[in-house]
Amino acid sequence: MRRGLVNLVLVAFIAGSAYDTITDQEHWPFSQYPMFSGTWSSPTFTWLRLFGVTADGREVVLDANRFVAPFDQSRLPKSLKRMLELPDGAARMQTALPDLFVRYEQLRHERRHEGPPIVALRLYELEWTIHPDAANVDAPDSRRLLGEVRP
Amino acid sequence: MRLARLAADRWNRFWFEPGPAAALGICRVLFFGTLLLWQLPHDFWPWGAYSSVFWMPIWLFDTFHVPALSAPAIAAMQAIWKAALFFAAIGLFTRPAMAIAFVLGTYLMGLPHNFGQTQHFDTLVVFACGALAISRAADAVSADAWIASRRHPSSGPPPDDGEYTWPIRFVWVAMAMIFCAAGISKLRHSGLDWIFSDNLALLLQRQQYHISDGEPWTNWGLWVAQHPWVARSMAASSVTIETLFPLALFSRRARWIFVPAGLLFLVGIRALMGPTFEQFMLCYVFWIPWASVLSRGRAYFGSTQRRVDTPAAEGAASALS
Repeated sequence: MRRGLVNLVLVAFIAGSAYDTITDQEHWPFSQYPMFSGTWSSPTFTWLRLFGVTADGREVVLDANRFVAPFDQSRLPKSLKRMLELPDGAARMQTALPDLFVRYEQLRHERRHEGPPIVALRLYELEWTIHPDAANVDAPDSRRLLGEVRP
Repeated sequence: MRLARLAADRWNRFWFEPGPAAALGICRVLFFGTLLLWQLPHDFWPWGAYSSVFWMPIWLFDTFHVPALSAPAIAAMQAIWKAALFFAAIGLFTRPAMAIAFVLGTYLMGLPHNFGQTQHFDTLVVFACGALAISRAADAVSADAWIASRRHPSSGPPPDDGEYTWPIRFVWVAMAMIFCAAGISKLRHSGLDWIFSDNLALLLQRQQYHISDGEPWTNWGLWVAQHPWVARSMAASSVTIETLFPLALFSRRARWIFVPAGLLFLVGIRALMGPTFEQFMLCYVFWIPWASVLSRGRAYFGSTQRRVDTPAAEGAASALS
């Protein structure tokens, strides 16, 4: 009886894993594990990035995970990008950015990061030409403002 | 018919070869113990504070209508989960602790993936928790087993059994399938271009622009990217290790190559690219041949004991003479 149950679990696990691998689908925790599977050939790329605006108008790039935790610099830009691609993307952004603003300030008050107090939060799409030394990490080729919140 | 019987025999031999309870017990202690240490500083409750606009449920949550709970509910769940990990590690109330660790862990580890991106460093942990939850991993190296031995002093340690083998082999198979699937994905979507183009060099450079869930430990990826033959060799090694990793399940010799190579590969990803596979690496405790380690340990300490005993005995004999 118990051996049968264990066998059933083993077969179900193997079948589920194989199904996602063969069909190229994802049913977390089963997955086809597609990370980095595409071929990157372009010398340029774009990425969404949050910037804080201080009281004196200075922009501070929030490019470390501690500024946006529990999000990170991979999940947050992808989340915001998916949101913007939805039909009600602009409306969603009006709710999402204040949330991120509140979270930034909350983390700052808890001394979880050393960022300055901010009065506004901006979302940009940045574009870089990949540099062999990544020397231009703080100087993207271009940037496009996608949203701003100033509570 | 004969083929089916042969396949069934092989299946049973692979999964249910008798093994010592202590080997699985050690895996349980190390797996839940290190998972607890890794998760202690991690908080899941902030996910509950975000607006519903962020909620983009993955298949598991969508299909079974698993809700996004409030921050206080997640905080309570997290506290219970971490307590369950602790009890599962020390082996006290182990069966319920492991079941709770699996159920709550699946929710908590799955939760962040509903916020726009599915990452893949924790699936193996979820599967391992599931296997242990229905295993007899508490029969040895546990507080439960110690209490039971105090109550019934005449009962010795449990005999070797297949029940102590299959959970370990399950983690092996799960890890092999994950590696292999990742390799197949690369070949399916990119073919050999993944190896022979500048793909990996560009990826290594791009990862330095603060776009990962973890910062790369080093900037050595930039050096690798500037040496195309190094980058292509690494790409070839990556695809080879991933795709052929399942050989480790069936060949002892292949195990000695692919298991350490897989670990090095994960460390390499973390060091050069950033993605945080630390949880995945914890599952390597299941690859250590604990039965051999235990028997060698016993042999070593036995011989040490004899060496210690011998001069004393000789001393005593000479004193008597």
